[in-house]
Amino acid sequence: MRQIHVGALALILSFTPLAFAQTKSAATPRGGVDWKALDHKWLDSERTGDLDYLEKFFADSYVLVLANGQTYTKKEWLGILRGPDRPTLLTLDPENIQVHVFGNVAILTDHTTIKGHDSKGNSLDGEFNVFRVVIKQDGEWRATGVVMNPDLSKK
Amino acid sequence: MKRAYVLATMIVFLIASGAVALGQAPKKPAASGEDVAGTVAILDHVWLDAAHNHDGETAAWLFADNFVEIHPGGILVSKQQQVDMIKNTQLGDIAIQSSDIQVRYASLDVAVLTDTTTIRGTQGETNYGGQYRVMRVFVKQQGRWRAAGAGIARIAAAQ
Repeated sequence: MRQIHVGALALILSFTPLAFAQTKSAATPRGGVDWKALDHKWLDSERTGDLDYLEKFFADSYVLVLANGQTYTKKEWLGILRGPDRPTLLTLDPENIQVHVFGNVAILTDHTTIKGHDSKGNSLDGEFNVFRVVIKQDGEWRATGVVMNPDLSKK
Repeated sequence: MKRAYVLATMIVFLIASGAVALGQAPKKPAASGEDVAGTVAILDHVWLDAAHNHDGETAAWLFADNFVEIHPGGILVSKQQQVDMIKNTQLGDIAIQSSDIQVRYASLDVAVLTDTTTIRGTQGETNYGGQYRVMRVFVKQQGRWRAAGAGIARIAAAQ
């Protein structure tokens, strides 16, 4: 009888690491990251011009594809945000944020409303469905790509 | 039998297109020595060939379960929706070609590339003709590279 108990205990202990791994995964199905907060912080930083944050948050591989197909690297985009031709963004609001996590990369999709104008006063107002890619580097999630698409259902 | 034929065809295709793809993609070997950039550049062609040939089986093989794509116009589709679109021959044929493949990021289990995809043709009532800037994301799952998602923006005519 005691042998059975000892055997059962050994069996339970041997499965404990597996059980913990599953519980952690189930309790934090998306890696314990507040993706909504990450997306909002990202766009708030672009709206308010928090370039110190963006410099750290954008991976060196960062590439931005605007809705017209125009492409900017990290250096190019931060250069625009730093420069005299930076856009004025009054609203940059992501909604309906959905997350697809694949280990060390996550794809976020959201519906972003933009209100603002470029340095010449041309309106930048629009509604976009946006594809965002973030990667995990040295334990930190960093943005590596964005593709913007006009939400034609709103027209 | 059909699966064996598909696999054999894909192996031949992978070998045949390897030289082309390797020529287009910058070499970024991962720490393991694997040429990730070359591999995903080839998969970029496999992806577009599947779309062109209404090959839903290959698309389902390539796409990860949690796959997501945003089409031009902002339409969000899942793996199943994208596979269904690809294999629907009623939608008509489109010619698809990718160029300017640039691997923007490559690690042991993640790769992100951009390409310029040129499409000619109409599917259903939608004319997809034009050039698109596409971002494709690949992940390595259980030792195999799979497509995790894509974002597509139509290149404005003035560019």
